[in-house]
Amino acid sequence: MQAQDLDSAIDSIRLRFGSQALTRAAALPPPQPWPTNTAIDWLTGIGGLPRGRLSLLTGSGTCGKLTVALSLLARATQEFAHAMVVDPGGFDPWCLLPFSPELSALTVVSAPAPEIRGESAAALAKAGAGFILLMSGVPEHWLGPIESGANRSGSVVVEVVDAPDRALAHASSFSVDFSRTRWLRERDQVVGLRVSARCTKNRVAPPLGESVLDIRYPIWPQQLRDYRPEIVEVPIEAEEVVPRASAAV
Amino acid sequence: MAFGVIPGMALRHAEHLCPQATFVLPDPEAVERIRQLISSALYDLAPVVEVRAEGLAWLELSGVARGGESIRGARHRLKQAIGREPRLGLAPGPFSARLAAARARPGRLLRVDDAREFLAPLPSCELPLDAEQLERLDLLGLRTLGAVATIGPRELESQLGRDGRHAVLLARGLEPDQLDPWQPPMFTSAHRQFGQPVEDREALLFVARGLCSDLADELGLRGAGAKEVRARLVLDSGDTEQRESVVRHPLSSTAELFGLIGSWIKEWQPRAPINELWIELPVLEGAGRRQLRLWAGGDGSSDEVSAALERLEDRFGDRVVRKPQPVLVSSPIPTERFA
Repeated sequence: MQAQDLDSAIDSIRLRFGSQALTRAAALPPPQPWPTNTAIDWLTGIGGLPRGRLSLLTGSGTCGKLTVALSLLARATQEFAHAMVVDPGGFDPWCLLPFSPELSALTVVSAPAPEIRGESAAALAKAGAGFILLMSGVPEHWLGPIESGANRSGSVVVEVVDAPDRALAHASSFSVDFSRTRWLRERDQVVGLRVSARCTKNRVAPPLGESVLDIRYPIWPQQLRDYRPEIVEVPIEAEEVVPRASAAV
Repeated sequence: MAFGVIPGMALRHAEHLCPQATFVLPDPEAVERIRQLISSALYDLAPVVEVRAEGLAWLELSGVARGGESIRGARHRLKQAIGREPRLGLAPGPFSARLAAARARPGRLLRVDDAREFLAPLPSCELPLDAEQLERLDLLGLRTLGAVATIGPRELESQLGRDGRHAVLLARGLEPDQLDPWQPPMFTSAHRQFGQPVEDREALLFVARGLCSDLADELGLRGAGAKEVRARLVLDSGDTEQRESVVRHPLSSTAELFGLIGSWIKEWQPRAPINELWIELPVLEGAGRRQLRLWAGGDGSSDEVSAALERLEDRFGDRVVRKPQPVLVSSPIPTERFA
């Protein structure tokens, strides 16, 4: 009965306002991807981060989400006229240098107050900044303007957060959860970490997938320009899944 | 095709092959309409696009970062527009590019790096000269472009006038001609005159949506967007009321146009019943200023992003926005590394 009422309401809206007034989400065209050449592309299912949508990189503790975010930001500086970082005030561009960014395209908006961060992100998304990296949460009431602004201009918006609240999780179109599976060691030295990147939400394409990444750090002091962090995708088969399997049993 | 008549064949030859055929003379208006359509289809592929009625299109690819993509895009769109594979030529200038394209196979690109070398063996009848001038060239023994290129511009100018000088420059591959860039049209409008004066707001909204849909279709064909929108009501009393607005992003779809005009109509309080509704788009531009995508993603909105950053600085202080410039990157003190 409810379904009939709903169909009738949909028909009357379409009759009055035209066939395009209501469209089923499944019938909408997928957003244009921005290829990042990372494992994230595969996880989205469309070959890149979705333009005009909010994407989340989540995970608690040291799990590689910030390294991945910085590599995306560096790539964005090379491809977009404007790559923005909206952070509470602690962002150091130095940590971006290993990824060879184009600094002329980078702008940092330092906003300690969440309200200012929200307004800044919404204004920049609406104006059409190519890439916006949110380093901290924004108030719930700014998520709508950010989403609609990005949707209109096609901005790629990525937020890095430990654990998203319900509003943020709802507003995002694509979420990847990072978790560290183990440290990588060579000669008893920690040289990086192996992380599992799992797609926990995907509104742009059907598949929810998982990938394993190796993020390698320098193992002894080096000149910054000699050091280039590596993010390598590891075949799933090579991952040691025994501990997880035993836990399940 | 029937009787061996094929596209591009001379009319006399076709008539000879098929005497019972009826020949329809070209329709200049239709030709111009198709020229506009093809121009708008190619507009975002190169900064300068010229399309001529005789079936020639040029794209100026100098400085375009992804020239190959533009060429592939042009091939694909032309094929869609004309239903046949276009011939493509890539050369340093319009003259040599035209001749290269004429010698390419359908759907293929003939690339010319050295225009003079490419032009040298071609017949001099390819030069844009009239029949008398070409005959004189023939009498002078200048039967190839290479031969024309060897003599001085002044010498041929003395024989053929200014066209002679121009011909020598063309034959030498110096490409003296510039393209005439196509510009999207600047104004359009739609209106509806009511049989009976209208007072019902819903009816007005219904008509406005229809007009917006017509305008959106037209904008889509032209590859344009509205930068300024004006709605005008002609009242039964003879007065006119109007509203207008300059929009930040060019509007090109029905939803965008009706979103703005519908909001006006919903709160409009006309002083008398309405006889006519006009929707005018006085300032048009390439939809989304698409040409700017040729260089870098997001360049098209650079001004708007800069304006947004300035507004943030005005509201929250200069220190909110910074563009890091490396000063002493190797310094152990973080504050010294960037300005």
